[in-house]
Amino acid sequence: MTLSRTTRFLLIAAPAALMVAGTLAAAPAAAPSPQAAIAARQAGYKKMGAAMKAINDQLKTDAPAKAVMAPAAQTLAVTAREQPKLFPAGSGPTAGVKTDALPNIWTDRKTFDAQMAKLIAESGKLVAVMNGGNIDAIRVQAKATGGTCAACHRQFRQDT
Amino acid sequence: MPDAAMTASDTPAPGTRLARIWDAPIRLFHWLLLPLIAFSWWSGERHEMEWHRLSGYGILALLVFRIYWGFFGGRTARFAQFLRGPGAALAYLRSQASGRHEPAPGHNPIGGWSVILMLATLVAMVLAGLFAVDVDGLESGPLADYVSFDQGRLASDIHGIIFNLLLALIVLHVAAIFFYTVRLRQNLVGPMIHGRRRTGEQVADVTTSPWRALIGIAIAGACAYAVARGFRL
Ligand code: HEC
Ligand code: HEM
Repeated sequence: MTLSRTTRFLLIAAPAALMVAGTLAAAPAAAPSPQAAIAARQAGYKKMGAAMKAINDQLKTDAPAKAVMAPAAQTLAVTAREQPKLFPAGSGPTAGVKTDALPNIWTDRKTFDAQMAKLIAESGKLVAVMNGGNIDAIRVQAKATGGTCAACHRQFRQDT
Repeated sequence: MPDAAMTASDTPAPGTRLARIWDAPIRLFHWLLLPLIAFSWWSGERHEMEWHRLSGYGILALLVFRIYWGFFGGRTARFAQFLRGPGAALAYLRSQASGRHEPAPGHNPIGGWSVILMLATLVAMVLAGLFAVDVDGLESGPLADYVSFDQGRLASDIHGIIFNLLLALIVLHVAAIFFYTVRLRQNLVGPMIHGRRRTGEQVADVTTSPWRALIGIAIAGACAYAVARGFRL
Protein backbone atom coordinates (compact mmCIF):
# COMPACT_ATOMS: atom_id res chain seq x y z
CA MET A 1 0.00 0.00 0.00
CA THR A 2 1.39 3.37 -0.96
CA LEU A 3 0.39 6.57 0.72
CA SER A 4 0.15 9.84 -1.06
CA ARG A 5 2.69 12.50 -0.21
CA THR A 6 -0.03 14.56 1.48
CA THR A 7 -1.20 11.67 3.65
CA ARG A 8 2.37 10.97 4.77
CA PHE A 9 2.87 14.61 5.62
CA LEU A 10 -0.34 14.68 7.65
CA LEU A 11 0.50 11.48 9.50
CA ILE A 12 3.75 12.98 10.74
CA ALA A 13 2.81 16.61 11.08
CA ALA A 14 -0.59 16.31 12.71
CA PRO A 15 0.53 14.71 16.00
CA ALA A 16 3.47 17.11 16.18
CA ALA A 17 1.17 20.08 15.65
CA LEU A 18 -1.22 18.76 18.29
CA MET A 19 1.62 18.44 20.78
CA VAL A 20 2.83 21.96 20.15
CA ALA A 21 -0.73 23.29 20.38
CA GLY A 22 -1.26 21.37 23.58
CA THR A 23 1.86 22.82 25.18
CA LEU A 24 0.95 26.32 24.08
CA ALA A 25 -2.60 25.95 25.40
CA ALA A 26 -1.35 24.68 28.76
CA ALA A 27 1.38 27.26 29.21
CA PRO A 28 -0.71 30.42 29.65
CA ALA A 29 -2.67 28.74 32.48
CA ALA A 30 0.62 28.74 34.41
CA ALA A 31 -0.16 25.30 35.81
CA PRO A 32 2.19 24.36 38.64
CA SER A 33 4.84 21.80 37.79
CA PRO A 34 3.71 18.29 38.71
CA GLN A 35 6.21 18.19 41.56
CA ALA A 36 5.10 21.52 42.97
CA ALA A 37 1.46 20.45 42.68
CA ILE A 38 2.15 17.25 44.60
CA ALA A 39 3.92 19.13 47.40
CA ALA A 40 1.13 21.69 47.57
CA ARG A 41 -1.71 19.18 47.65
CA GLN A 42 0.00 17.04 50.28
CA ALA A 43 0.50 20.11 52.45
CA GLY A 44 -3.15 20.99 51.94
CA TYR A 45 -4.32 17.50 52.88
CA LYS A 46 -2.17 17.55 56.00
CA LYS A 47 -3.75 20.82 56.97
CA MET A 48 -7.18 19.27 56.48
CA GLY A 49 -6.17 16.19 58.46
CA ALA A 50 -5.05 18.39 61.35
CA ALA A 51 -8.31 20.35 61.15
CA MET A 52 -10.40 17.17 61.16
CA LYS A 53 -8.45 15.90 64.14
CA ALA A 54 -8.91 19.19 66.00
CA ILE A 55 -12.68 18.95 65.53
CA ASN A 56 -12.90 15.28 66.44
CA ASP A 57 -10.66 15.73 69.50
CA GLN A 58 -13.17 18.31 70.75
CA LEU A 59 -16.15 16.11 69.94
CA LYS A 60 -14.63 13.35 72.07
CA THR A 61 -14.73 15.57 75.15
CA ASP A 62 -17.73 16.30 77.36
CA ALA A 63 -17.71 20.01 76.47
CA PRO A 64 -16.54 20.54 72.87
CA ALA A 65 -15.03 24.02 72.44
CA LYS A 66 -16.57 25.91 69.56
CA ALA A 67 -13.65 28.35 69.62
CA VAL A 68 -11.42 25.48 68.47
CA MET A 69 -13.85 23.80 66.08
CA ALA A 70 -15.11 26.80 64.12
CA PRO A 71 -11.71 27.93 62.75
CA ALA A 72 -10.86 24.30 61.92
CA ALA A 73 -14.09 23.95 59.94
CA GLN A 74 -13.20 27.16 58.13
CA THR A 75 -9.75 25.76 57.27
CA LEU A 76 -11.38 22.63 55.90
CA ALA A 77 -13.82 24.52 53.70
CA VAL A 78 -11.16 26.89 52.33
CA THR A 79 -8.55 24.21 51.71
CA ALA A 80 -11.07 21.88 50.07
CA ARG A 81 -11.62 24.53 47.40
CA GLU A 82 -7.90 24.78 46.61
CA GLN A 83 -7.22 21.06 46.18
CA PRO A 84 -8.95 20.45 42.80
CA LYS A 85 -6.36 22.62 41.00
CA LEU A 86 -3.50 20.52 42.31
CA PHE A 87 -3.94 17.35 40.27
CA PRO A 88 -2.50 18.36 36.85
CA ALA A 89 -1.69 15.70 34.26
CA GLY A 90 1.65 14.09 34.98
CA SER A 91 1.41 14.49 38.77
CA GLY A 92 0.61 10.82 39.31
CA PRO A 93 2.97 7.98 40.19
CA THR A 94 5.14 8.82 37.16
CA ALA A 95 6.08 12.26 38.51
CA GLY A 96 9.27 10.99 40.10
CA VAL A 97 8.49 12.20 43.62
CA LYS A 98 6.72 10.36 46.40
CA THR A 99 2.97 10.48 45.93
CA ASP A 100 0.15 8.22 47.04
CA ALA A 101 -2.13 9.45 44.27
CA LEU A 102 -3.34 6.49 42.21
CA PRO A 103 -3.28 6.59 38.38
CA ASN A 104 -7.05 6.09 38.19
CA ILE A 105 -7.45 9.75 39.20
CA TRP A 106 -6.53 10.63 35.63
CA THR A 107 -8.45 7.82 33.94
CA ASP A 108 -11.60 8.21 36.03
CA ARG A 109 -11.47 11.95 36.44
CA LYS A 110 -15.24 12.41 36.55
CA THR A 111 -15.61 10.30 39.67
CA PHE A 112 -12.61 11.96 41.29
CA ASP A 113 -13.94 15.46 40.60
CA ALA A 114 -17.32 14.42 41.98
CA GLN A 115 -15.62 13.35 45.23
CA MET A 116 -13.86 16.72 45.34
CA ALA A 117 -17.17 18.51 44.88
CA LYS A 118 -18.75 16.38 47.60
CA LEU A 119 -16.04 17.41 50.07
CA ILE A 120 -16.53 21.07 49.19
CA ALA A 121 -20.27 20.71 49.77
CA GLU A 122 -19.97 18.79 53.06
CA SER A 123 -17.27 21.04 54.51
CA GLY A 124 -19.38 24.04 53.56
CA LYS A 125 -22.29 22.53 55.46
CA LEU A 126 -19.97 21.93 58.41
CA VAL A 127 -19.16 25.63 58.59
CA ALA A 128 -22.88 26.43 58.53
CA VAL A 129 -23.68 23.88 61.26
CA MET A 130 -20.78 25.23 63.30
CA ASN A 131 -22.38 28.67 63.26
CA GLY A 132 -25.66 27.06 64.35
CA GLY A 133 -23.86 25.74 67.40
CA ASN A 134 -25.88 22.53 67.99
CA ILE A 135 -23.31 19.95 69.13
CA ASP A 136 -25.29 16.95 67.93
CA ALA A 137 -25.67 18.49 64.47
CA ILE A 138 -21.94 19.27 64.43
CA ARG A 139 -21.19 15.68 65.36
CA VAL A 140 -23.32 14.33 62.51
CA GLN A 141 -21.87 16.74 59.96
CA ALA A 142 -18.26 16.13 61.08
CA LYS A 143 -18.85 12.43 60.48
CA ALA A 144 -20.35 13.11 57.06
CA THR A 145 -17.37 15.28 56.13
CA GLY A 146 -14.91 12.65 57.32
CA GLY A 147 -16.85 10.10 55.32
CA THR A 148 -16.06 11.95 52.09
CA CYS A 149 -12.34 11.94 52.95
CA ALA A 150 -12.44 8.19 53.62
CA ALA A 151 -14.46 7.39 50.49
CA CYS A 152 -12.04 9.21 48.19
CA HIS A 153 -8.98 7.71 49.89
CA ARG A 154 -10.32 4.19 49.45
CA GLN A 155 -10.70 4.77 45.75
CA PHE A 156 -7.89 7.11 44.77
CA ARG A 157 -5.14 6.98 47.39
CA GLN A 158 -2.64 4.19 47.81
CA ASP A 159 -2.22 2.30 51.08
CA THR A 160 -4.74 3.53 53.59
CA MET B 1 -1.57 -38.44 64.67
CA PRO B 2 -1.74 -35.74 67.37
CA ASP B 3 -2.95 -38.50 69.69
CA ALA B 4 0.19 -40.50 69.06
CA ALA B 5 2.34 -37.51 69.87
CA MET B 6 0.34 -36.81 72.98
CA THR B 7 0.54 -40.34 74.39
CA ALA B 8 4.24 -40.45 73.67
CA SER B 9 4.92 -37.26 75.62
CA ASP B 10 2.39 -37.94 78.32
CA THR B 11 3.56 -41.43 79.08
CA PRO B 12 4.81 -41.27 82.66
CA ALA B 13 8.16 -42.63 83.57
CA PRO B 14 7.87 -45.01 86.50
CA GLY B 15 7.01 -43.23 89.72
CA THR B 16 6.10 -39.91 88.13
CA ARG B 17 2.96 -37.88 88.57
CA LEU B 18 1.00 -35.00 87.08
CA ALA B 19 2.44 -31.71 88.24
CA ARG B 20 0.73 -28.34 87.81
CA ILE B 21 3.17 -26.17 85.85
CA TRP B 22 0.92 -23.30 84.66
CA ASP B 23 -1.44 -21.48 86.99
CA ALA B 24 -4.99 -20.65 85.90
CA PRO B 25 -4.45 -16.87 85.37
CA ILE B 26 -1.56 -17.55 82.97
CA ARG B 27 -3.66 -19.95 80.96
CA LEU B 28 -6.61 -17.57 80.91
CA PHE B 29 -4.28 -14.76 79.81
CA HIS B 30 -2.98 -16.87 76.98
CA TRP B 31 -6.31 -18.07 75.65
CA LEU B 32 -7.98 -14.66 75.92
CA LEU B 33 -5.07 -12.98 74.16
CA LEU B 34 -5.25 -15.22 71.11
CA PRO B 35 -8.83 -14.37 69.99
CA LEU B 36 -8.37 -10.71 70.91
CA ILE B 37 -5.30 -10.40 68.68
CA ALA B 38 -7.17 -12.12 65.87
CA PHE B 39 -10.14 -9.81 66.37
CA SER B 40 -7.90 -6.72 66.52
CA TRP B 41 -6.34 -7.76 63.25
CA TRP B 42 -9.73 -8.23 61.58
CA SER B 43 -11.28 -5.04 62.95
CA GLY B 44 -8.13 -3.01 62.18
CA GLU B 45 -8.02 -4.13 58.56
CA ARG B 46 -11.75 -3.52 58.18
CA HIS B 47 -11.37 -0.14 59.86
CA GLU B 48 -14.10 -1.09 62.35
CA MET B 49 -12.58 1.33 64.82
CA GLU B 50 -15.25 1.18 67.53
CA TRP B 51 -14.63 -2.56 67.83
CA HIS B 52 -10.92 -2.21 67.28
CA ARG B 53 -10.51 0.15 70.23
CA LEU B 54 -12.58 -2.10 72.52
CA SER B 55 -10.52 -5.11 71.57
CA GLY B 56 -7.35 -3.06 72.13
CA TYR B 57 -8.46 -2.09 75.64
CA GLY B 58 -8.97 -5.78 76.34
CA ILE B 59 -5.43 -6.52 75.23
CA LEU B 60 -4.14 -3.58 77.26
CA ALA B 61 -5.82 -4.95 80.40
CA LEU B 62 -4.38 -8.39 79.74
CA LEU B 63 -0.88 -6.95 79.33
CA VAL B 64 -1.09 -4.94 82.55
CA PHE B 65 -2.23 -8.06 84.35
CA ARG B 66 0.54 -10.15 82.83
CA ILE B 67 3.23 -7.70 83.91
CA TYR B 68 1.79 -7.65 87.44
CA TRP B 69 1.64 -11.45 87.38
CA GLY B 70 5.28 -11.55 86.33
CA PHE B 71 6.06 -10.31 89.85
CA PHE B 72 3.22 -11.69 91.97
CA GLY B 73 2.03 -14.75 90.06
CA GLY B 74 2.82 -18.44 90.30
CA ARG B 75 6.41 -19.63 90.14
CA THR B 76 6.49 -20.29 86.39
CA ALA B 77 4.83 -16.96 85.57
CA ARG B 78 7.50 -14.84 87.26
CA PHE B 79 10.02 -12.97 85.16
CA ALA B 80 12.69 -13.68 87.77
CA GLN B 81 12.16 -17.39 87.25
CA PHE B 82 12.35 -17.55 83.47
CA LEU B 83 14.54 -14.60 82.52
CA ARG B 84 17.92 -16.25 82.17
CA GLY B 85 21.19 -14.89 80.89
CA PRO B 86 22.66 -15.62 77.45
CA GLY B 87 24.90 -18.24 79.06
CA ALA B 88 21.94 -20.30 80.18
CA ALA B 89 20.27 -19.86 76.80
CA LEU B 90 23.39 -21.07 74.97
CA ALA B 91 23.80 -24.02 77.31
CA TYR B 92 20.19 -24.98 76.67
CA LEU B 93 20.67 -24.77 72.90
CA ARG B 94 23.84 -26.85 73.14
CA SER B 95 22.17 -29.59 75.14
CA GLN B 96 19.30 -29.61 72.66
CA ALA B 97 21.71 -29.89 69.75
CA SER B 98 23.47 -32.82 71.39
CA GLY B 99 20.17 -34.68 71.41
CA ARG B 100 19.44 -34.57 75.11
CA HIS B 101 16.00 -33.08 75.57
CA GLU B 102 15.02 -32.30 79.13
CA PRO B 103 11.54 -30.75 79.41
CA ALA B 104 11.79 -27.60 81.53
CA PRO B 105 9.40 -27.17 84.48
CA GLY B 106 8.06 -23.92 83.01
CA HIS B 107 9.70 -21.78 80.35
CA ASN B 108 13.04 -22.98 79.10
CA PRO B 109 15.76 -20.30 78.76
CA ILE B 110 14.98 -19.72 75.07
CA GLY B 111 11.23 -19.78 75.56
CA GLY B 112 11.58 -17.19 78.31
CA TRP B 113 13.18 -14.78 75.89
CA SER B 114 10.51 -15.41 73.29
CA VAL B 115 7.85 -14.61 75.91
CA ILE B 116 9.54 -11.32 76.80
CA LEU B 117 9.92 -10.43 73.13
CA MET B 118 6.25 -11.11 72.41
CA LEU B 119 5.07 -9.18 75.46
CA ALA B 120 7.32 -6.21 74.64
CA THR B 121 6.09 -6.19 71.05
CA LEU B 122 2.49 -6.25 72.21
CA VAL B 123 3.14 -3.38 74.63
CA ALA B 124 4.70 -1.35 71.81
CA MET B 125 1.79 -2.26 69.53
CA VAL B 126 -0.78 -1.06 72.05
CA LEU B 127 1.18 2.09 72.92
CA ALA B 128 1.39 3.08 69.25
CA GLY B 129 -2.30 2.35 68.79
CA LEU B 130 -3.25 4.62 71.70
CA PHE B 131 -1.75 7.61 69.85
CA ALA B 132 -2.57 6.56 66.27
CA VAL B 133 -4.67 8.78 63.98
CA ASP B 134 -6.08 7.60 60.66
CA VAL B 135 -5.43 9.51 57.43
CA ASP B 136 -8.90 11.10 57.55
CA GLY B 137 -8.32 12.60 61.00
CA LEU B 138 -11.58 10.85 61.85
CA GLU B 139 -10.64 7.86 63.98
CA SER B 140 -7.94 7.81 66.61
CA GLY B 141 -6.67 6.18 69.77
CA PRO B 142 -7.83 7.58 73.12
CA LEU B 143 -4.56 9.43 73.77
CA ALA B 144 -4.25 10.96 70.29
CA ASP B 145 -5.48 14.36 71.46
CA TYR B 146 -2.22 14.69 73.42
CA VAL B 147 -0.24 14.69 70.14
CA SER B 148 -0.35 16.54 66.81
CA PHE B 149 -1.84 15.14 63.61
CA ASP B 150 1.63 14.41 62.19
CA GLN B 151 2.73 12.63 65.35
CA GLY B 152 -0.50 10.64 65.33
CA ARG B 153 0.16 9.62 61.72
CA LEU B 154 3.67 8.55 62.71
CA ALA B 155 2.20 6.47 65.55
CA SER B 156 -0.12 4.87 63.01
CA ASP B 157 2.82 4.00 60.75
CA ILE B 158 4.68 2.49 63.70
CA HIS B 159 1.50 0.60 64.66
CA GLY B 160 1.51 -0.94 61.17
CA ILE B 161 5.22 -1.83 61.18
CA ILE B 162 5.10 -3.41 64.62
CA PHE B 163 2.11 -5.46 63.53
CA ASN B 164 4.29 -7.18 60.94
CA LEU B 165 6.88 -7.89 63.62
CA LEU B 166 4.14 -9.29 65.85
CA LEU B 167 2.92 -11.59 63.08
CA ALA B 168 6.48 -12.84 62.54
CA LEU B 169 6.86 -13.58 66.27
CA ILE B 170 3.53 -15.42 66.35
CA VAL B 171 4.58 -17.56 63.37
CA LEU B 172 7.86 -18.35 65.14
CA HIS B 173 5.97 -19.19 68.36
CA VAL B 174 3.65 -21.62 66.59
CA ALA B 175 6.53 -23.13 64.61
CA ALA B 176 8.47 -23.75 67.83
CA ILE B 177 5.47 -25.48 69.42
CA PHE B 178 5.11 -27.60 66.29
CA PHE B 179 8.79 -28.52 66.46
CA TYR B 180 8.50 -29.60 70.10
CA THR B 181 5.46 -31.70 69.32
CA VAL B 182 6.79 -33.44 66.24
CA ARG B 183 10.55 -33.65 66.78
CA LEU B 184 10.91 -33.67 70.54
CA ARG B 185 7.67 -35.52 71.24
CA GLN B 186 6.75 -32.99 73.90
CA ASN B 187 3.19 -31.70 73.95
CA LEU B 188 3.20 -28.05 74.98
CA VAL B 189 -0.39 -27.23 74.05
CA GLY B 190 -2.08 -29.60 76.51
CA PRO B 191 -0.36 -28.18 79.60
CA MET B 192 -1.24 -24.63 78.49
CA ILE B 193 -4.89 -25.77 78.42
CA HIS B 194 -5.21 -27.90 81.58
CA GLY B 195 -2.07 -26.69 83.36
CA ARG B 196 -0.53 -30.09 84.17
CA ARG B 197 2.27 -32.17 82.81
CA ARG B 198 3.70 -35.56 83.71
CA THR B 199 7.20 -35.01 84.93
CA GLY B 200 10.02 -37.35 85.69
CA GLU B 201 11.69 -35.02 88.15
CA GLN B 202 10.43 -33.88 91.48
CA VAL B 203 8.51 -30.82 90.37
CA ALA B 204 6.38 -29.04 92.91
CA ASP B 205 2.90 -27.87 91.93
CA VAL B 206 2.64 -24.20 91.01
CA THR B 207 0.54 -22.44 93.58
CA THR B 208 -1.10 -19.04 93.46
CA SER B 209 -3.19 -16.85 95.67
CA PRO B 210 -6.67 -15.95 94.37
CA TRP B 211 -6.43 -12.67 96.25
CA ARG B 212 -3.34 -11.67 94.37
CA ALA B 213 -5.07 -12.54 91.12
CA LEU B 214 -8.10 -10.43 92.07
CA ILE B 215 -5.88 -7.46 92.94
CA GLY B 216 -4.15 -7.84 89.56
CA ILE B 217 -7.47 -7.96 87.73
CA ALA B 218 -8.61 -4.81 89.55
CA ILE B 219 -5.39 -2.96 88.65
CA ALA B 220 -5.62 -4.10 85.02
CA GLY B 221 -9.25 -3.03 84.74
CA ALA B 222 -8.58 0.36 86.30
CA CYS B 223 -5.61 1.01 83.99
CA ALA B 224 -7.57 0.05 80.88
CA TYR B 225 -10.50 2.23 81.94
CA ALA B 226 -8.30 5.27 82.65
CA VAL B 227 -6.48 4.94 79.32
CA ALA B 228 -9.72 4.39 77.38
CA ARG B 229 -11.02 7.63 78.89
CA GLY B 230 -7.80 9.40 77.88
CA PHE B 231 -7.16 10.01 81.61
CA ARG B 232 -10.19 12.35 81.72
CA LEU B 233 -11.70 10.67 84.74
C1 HEC C 1 -11.27 13.81 45.97
C2 HEC C 1 -10.46 12.90 46.68
C3 HEC C 1 -10.00 13.22 48.10
C4 HEC C 1 -10.73 13.76 49.11
C5 HEC C 1 -12.21 14.17 49.09
C6 HEC C 1 -9.84 13.85 50.24
N1 HEC C 1 -8.61 13.36 49.91
FE1 HEC C 1 -7.02 13.23 51.16
N2 HEC C 1 -5.90 12.49 49.62
C7 HEC C 1 -6.35 12.27 48.34
C8 HEC C 1 -5.24 11.82 47.53
C9 HEC C 1 -5.31 11.44 46.07
C10 HEC C 1 -4.09 11.80 48.36
C11 HEC C 1 -2.65 11.46 47.96
C12 HEC C 1 -1.95 12.75 47.61
C13 HEC C 1 -0.50 12.55 47.22
O1 HEC C 1 0.19 11.77 47.88
O2 HEC C 1 -0.08 13.15 46.24
C14 HEC C 1 -4.55 12.24 49.68
C15 HEC C 1 -3.71 12.35 50.78
C16 HEC C 1 -4.12 12.78 52.03
C17 HEC C 1 -3.25 12.88 53.17
C18 HEC C 1 -1.76 12.52 53.22
C19 HEC C 1 -0.94 13.69 52.76
C20 HEC C 1 0.53 13.37 52.75
O3 HEC C 1 1.24 13.86 53.61
O4 HEC C 1 0.96 12.56 51.90
C21 HEC C 1 -4.02 13.36 54.21
C22 HEC C 1 -3.55 13.63 55.63
C23 HEC C 1 -5.35 13.55 53.69
N3 HEC C 1 -5.39 13.18 52.37
C24 HEC C 1 -6.41 14.04 54.45
C25 HEC C 1 -7.67 14.26 53.94
C26 HEC C 1 -8.78 14.76 54.72
C27 HEC C 1 -8.71 15.07 56.21
C28 HEC C 1 -9.84 14.85 53.89
C29 HEC C 1 -11.26 15.31 54.19
C30 HEC C 1 -11.43 16.47 54.97
C31 HEC C 1 -9.40 14.41 52.58
N4 HEC C 1 -8.08 14.05 52.65
C32 HEC C 1 -10.22 14.35 51.46
C33 HEC C 1 -7.62 12.40 47.90
C34 HEC C 1 -8.67 12.96 48.60
C1 HEM D 1 -2.10 -6.01 69.79
C2 HEM D 1 -3.14 -5.25 69.60
C3 HEM D 1 -3.48 -4.61 68.28
C4 HEM D 1 -3.42 -5.14 67.02
C5 HEM D 1 -3.01 -6.54 66.61
C6 HEM D 1 -3.82 -4.09 66.10
C7 HEM D 1 -3.88 -4.22 64.72
C8 HEM D 1 -4.20 -3.20 63.85
C9 HEM D 1 -4.28 -3.32 62.41
C10 HEM D 1 -3.99 -4.61 61.62
C11 HEM D 1 -4.62 -2.10 61.89
C12 HEM D 1 -4.83 -1.74 60.42
C13 HEM D 1 -3.63 -1.04 59.89
C14 HEM D 1 -3.82 -0.72 58.45
O1 HEM D 1 -4.93 -0.90 57.93
O2 HEM D 1 -2.87 -0.24 57.85
C15 HEM D 1 -4.78 -1.19 63.00
C16 HEM D 1 -5.13 0.15 62.90
C17 HEM D 1 -5.41 0.99 63.98
N1 HEM D 1 -5.31 0.64 65.32
FE1 HEM D 1 -4.71 -1.13 66.08
N2 HEM D 1 -4.12 -2.95 66.83
C18 HEM D 1 -3.93 -3.23 68.16
C19 HEM D 1 -4.13 -2.39 69.24
C20 HEM D 1 -4.64 -1.09 69.14
C21 HEM D 1 -4.97 -0.25 70.27
C22 HEM D 1 -4.79 -0.63 71.75
C23 HEM D 1 -5.44 0.92 69.75
C24 HEM D 1 -5.95 2.14 70.50
C25 HEM D 1 -7.05 2.06 71.22
C26 HEM D 1 -5.40 0.82 68.32
C27 HEM D 1 -5.76 1.84 67.44
C28 HEM D 1 -5.69 1.77 66.07
C29 HEM D 1 -6.03 2.86 65.18
C30 HEM D 1 -6.51 4.26 65.58
C31 HEM D 1 -5.85 2.37 63.87
C32 HEM D 1 -6.11 3.16 62.57
C33 HEM D 1 -4.85 3.73 62.06
C34 HEM D 1 -4.94 4.00 60.58
O3 HEM D 1 -5.92 3.62 59.95
O4 HEM D 1 -3.98 4.55 60.06
N3 HEM D 1 -4.91 -0.41 67.97
N4 HEM D 1 -4.52 -1.89 64.17
